[in-house]
Amino acid sequence: MSEVIAYGFTLGGILYIISIGFSLTFGSMRIVNFAHGLVYAVGAYALFALLPVAKGNFVIASILAIIASLPVSYIIEKFVIRRLYGKSIDYAIIASYAVLLIGVDLLKWIFGASPVPVSDPIGRNISFMTLDIPLYRVIIILLSFLIFTGLTIFFKKTIIGKIVIAGLGDREAVQSLGIDIDKYFAIVFILGSALASLGGILYGPISTVHPYMGFRIVTLCFAVVIIGGMGNLRGTAVASYSLGMVMAITAWFWGAAADAMVFVVMAIVLIFRPIEI
Amino acid sequence: MLIKLRHSVLFAISCFVIGFIVFAYSASINKVTDFIIFCIYVLGFDVLYGHMGRISFGHTLYLGAGAYGTAMFAKYVIPDPFLSIAIGIITGAVVGIILGPIVVKTKGAAFALINVAFNQVGYFLVLVALARFTGGEDGVSLSFKNYGFINFNNMHFLFYFSLVSLVVVYYLMYRLYLSAFGAMLIGIKENEIRVRFLGYNTHKYKWIAFIISTSISAFAGSLYVVNYGFVNPSFIDPARNVEVIFAALIGGPGTEIGVVVGGTAYMVISNYLPKYITRWEMFLGIALLIIAFKFRKGIMGYIREFVDKRIQALKTIG
Repeated sequence: MSEVIAYGFTLGGILYIISIGFSLTFGSMRIVNFAHGLVYAVGAYALFALLPVAKGNFVIASILAIIASLPVSYIIEKFVIRRLYGKSIDYAIIASYAVLLIGVDLLKWIFGASPVPVSDPIGRNISFMTLDIPLYRVIIILLSFLIFTGLTIFFKKTIIGKIVIAGLGDREAVQSLGIDIDKYFAIVFILGSALASLGGILYGPISTVHPYMGFRIVTLCFAVVIIGGMGNLRGTAVASYSLGMVMAITAWFWGAAADAMVFVVMAIVLIFRPIEI
Repeated sequence: MLIKLRHSVLFAISCFVIGFIVFAYSASINKVTDFIIFCIYVLGFDVLYGHMGRISFGHTLYLGAGAYGTAMFAKYVIPDPFLSIAIGIITGAVVGIILGPIVVKTKGAAFALINVAFNQVGYFLVLVALARFTGGEDGVSLSFKNYGFINFNNMHFLFYFSLVSLVVVYYLMYRLYLSAFGAMLIGIKENEIRVRFLGYNTHKYKWIAFIISTSISAFAGSLYVVNYGFVNPSFIDPARNVEVIFAALIGGPGTEIGVVVGGTAYMVISNYLPKYITRWEMFLGIALLIIAFKFRKGIMGYIREFVDKRIQALKTIG
């Protein structure tokens, strides 16, 4: 049972890393970015492709994979998001969905439709009191806490972070101070995408890497953001870890129901706290 | 004369009825029946998209609800085709009634994704949770009773039955959109807050529109089951939502004839294009992107603009 809780934190941590970018894009630009799922998938696939290049060194391969995914997110930002942002939110959704479709098909073309294997880079377990869990998962949990702390500091202490938080609250006020808020939102977008690809990299070894993984993660991110609140950083963290726990506990009883249970929880939350976006 | 034709629903209906008949007998009756049923499905989707301005990314749920409702009734109760179709429609309506209050409170992106979420739950139910009844991944195959010439195993009968269904649904939608209710939907699409200020309970109207949409989509699902003689999880698969979205967009959302044109266009593309381009799904994604940027009114939108310009020209001359 304690392993289940540990696994819940692992899942929650990964969900947090991926959802933060999604939540920020939604909060800042009011655009649901389906292509976020694509960057996530690209991260995982890039890891798979670059591991042989890095001669099996996971850390180097991860860094290379994140760097490889940056151009993808830059192109998406420049050609799709920026064009539609502010003009037509409805078509932005369709356009980002189309980008995800195209990307998924490209991945299918390059890597094939069946899942590709990426294995746990450490492979050892760690024994901690009554727990016996893979060390890799512990590292994921630690990393997610680190990122959470890092982001909190970034948004509270740095100028860029403060501008973004202000922009999330009242865009026009920030602009009237003479600040080009679009540039800062673009930076946030790239940051969020980098985190998404990191999420893909981290999650790859403990789940399946297949072309449609992007679709799955977008709906999960969406559930996190609905429950946690759009653009609400702490809310995203709470929601991610809670949903991660829900998934882990459900998976223990009935493996296949884990994803569905997240949506059931989301529906319940929506009944009691309806949102109007 | 042109003006009368342009607004005449009879003309529109005759056009596509003749079109489908010609198509069916020159190509393949089975395939065109498929196209027709798909058009009914897109008509259901368009109630929410074209007329209420909300895009649902999970409409396969309602198609599948109708399909599985029909199939389960036919398998476990009586394989009577008319009763089964009726049960299918009712299943869709019930899903709309239950999910409606949660879903219609949202709009825009949230509306799109909530439908996906429920679609995933439905898919899971059909694939895993209720697999004992639904046959899981393999689905269920059925055969329906027949009554003399009302034989659903006969492809000609199926074709005409589907075509008549399409005409009925098309005409119903036409009347619906011209009615006060239709005006209400357009009002909600344009500016919901104002409609509420006028004293209308918009949630009620949104809920009703939602139920109409799910029921029509479920009707299409039932027709598919009767047409194919089997059902499987692909009917409720969330990944297939792009089909109906693409069809609604390419045809011209918000007009019934646009929907029929779009539905046929998509079906033609998905049936004949794979023979020439293997990566046709990527082509679909690129087409969707181009539509979102440049081609928002769809085929019928541009045809209408063209016809309207001609009418303007005639008016200034005469």
